[in-house]
Amino acid sequence: MHQQLLLVTGKGGVGKSAVSAALAIEAARRGQKVLAIGMVEKRGLAAHLGVESLSYDATEVRPGVFALGIERPAALDEYLRIVLRVPKLSRIGPVARAFDALASAAPGIRETVTMGKVLFETRTNNWDLVVADAPPSGAIGSHIRAPKTVAELVGAGKVREQTRWMEDLMGDRARTGLVMVTLAEELPTVETAETLKWISEEGLIGVAEVITNRILEPLGARIPTDLSTPIGAAAALHGGIFQEQQRWLAELPDRGRELPYLFGVTGPVEVAERIADELEQR
Amino acid sequence: MTGPILVTGAGGVGKTTVSAALGVAAAQAGYQTLVLTVDPAKRLATALGLDELHNTPTANKTLPTLWAAMLDSEASWDQIARSHAPPDAADRLVNSEFFHAITRHFPASQSYAAAEAMAQYLDERRWDVIIVDTPPASGGIEFFTAPTELTNLVGGRLFRWLTGGAIPGRRELFNVAARPALRIVDIALGSDLLERVGAFLFDLRTTYDGLRTRSQEIEKYFRKSTTIVVTTSDPAPVTEAARFFKELPQVARPPAAVVFNRTLPTAWEKAEIPANTTRPLARNLALWAREARRQETVRDEFAARYRTKIVSIGWQPTAPTDLESLAALIDETGLLTDLID
Repeated sequence: MHQQLLLVTGKGGVGKSAVSAALAIEAARRGQKVLAIGMVEKRGLAAHLGVESLSYDATEVRPGVFALGIERPAALDEYLRIVLRVPKLSRIGPVARAFDALASAAPGIRETVTMGKVLFETRTNNWDLVVADAPPSGAIGSHIRAPKTVAELVGAGKVREQTRWMEDLMGDRARTGLVMVTLAEELPTVETAETLKWISEEGLIGVAEVITNRILEPLGARIPTDLSTPIGAAAALHGGIFQEQQRWLAELPDRGRELPYLFGVTGPVEVAERIADELEQR
Repeated sequence: MTGPILVTGAGGVGKTTVSAALGVAAAQAGYQTLVLTVDPAKRLATALGLDELHNTPTANKTLPTLWAAMLDSEASWDQIARSHAPPDAADRLVNSEFFHAITRHFPASQSYAAAEAMAQYLDERRWDVIIVDTPPASGGIEFFTAPTELTNLVGGRLFRWLTGGAIPGRRELFNVAARPALRIVDIALGSDLLERVGAFLFDLRTTYDGLRTRSQEIEKYFRKSTTIVVTTSDPAPVTEAARFFKELPQVARPPAAVVFNRTLPTAWEKAEIPANTTRPLARNLALWAREARRQETVRDEFAARYRTKIVSIGWQPTAPTDLESLAALIDETGLLTDLID
């Protein structure tokens, strides 16, 4: 993947945060300066990068990997300063509060603030790669559509002026790409296919890759007839899951790298590092 | 019936399957049972008898004591507006883009709609057992706090943020020039957005008294409810499960049990490998045995820390999708007897 900004999404529980962390770790191993961003739910990304929590200011969490977590009040403050050209030292509290109240009722505004932070960071060119652990696929639409929604909602004004470059950067396939993480199971496959469909119809962002997680290798032997022994039962389970996975993999309209099931791996950091190893090899 | 059975836990762990399994088992035991679910897999929906999208309870053809309904939060919201706002305000609300933005994007919105539907069916007293497959939440006990959150939002939190103080009269709110902060916001957003949102908030506020009363009724049901938490042995859902043990006692009884789904047999951990076993099969068992050991450690730590009943459901390659295999899933666990007796 050559893009400068990767937005990582997927159905809840598929390993989106682990893959986000792994993409960042793998790029840093290649010598890139990487920023990993937790957009809404930040605990997963923090755990996979081996830190307690993510602060709003980018902090180096491991060699070459910087991380930040978007906090809405701070992001709103920064957004308003940029939009309204208000200097850092002046008070902005009452404006931010009023704006936040409006934002909770007006579609797209809150999401524009969150997406704005990700896009601002990409635009600075401080980073070779920005990896955003984005909201799950059920909620990603309102974020991707946010600049467009806001442009339609407000006829004029400074907020609207800011939406154009956001749309342009997000829609630039050379610079921005969506990474869909999925599992070879029914619900994640259905949701991934649906997401890819509207993403392609609306054309607001390009798809960088569809990564399938926790894929089993073929058993490499016949399943024994006696399933009462652990050997037989484990073989039958493996074979059954493998078959089911192949069935759902075939339903995916677009397939990129496959990541293996990690047997017996406990810690979130180890999970991210092992996935980074796999990404490197594939 | 004592109260609803609420099935909670992180996304993707099998909440819907466990809810359905409990429902089938209760219905087979002769209870009039209703399962409220959000977004079942197609084959599971078919097993429950939900071939089409039904958001009203439908009886299962082969097991008539089993009822199921799918929750459609958008439709629920229109109904909520109509039952709590005066007719003219309700008309404006259901047609308002802002109303749809709030109902779609306010984090606890889907939770509230599900809780409201639950309360409605409990009010009807037609079922002995009501099982709620709680909707995906932004985390923790959102399903339980949604009524209060929403009542506060509607009751004036938005207004107070907007004006920095008391809830204003219609004229004061639109006297934008009087408030420098609002003037800046008006410039930033251009056009008449502030005025449109203001008018919407006045309509929304007409639902406050109704919502507040309803929320108190819902919370009364929560206090009578039995919660079970579903998880797998993976770190993220286990962390999520732990949150229920920490947070739930503030609003309801602590979870009655935690269900570990996709559990591997502990017997695999120390299984002997017969001499005539081929290499791939031996290697395969060794891999799964490692995983079984990891899972057992996770379960043991959880049990020691939260002193709760742990129910294990075996890992099956395909989720069960007919009534018999759904019931079989929890048959030996004793979960149903724990919950209903």
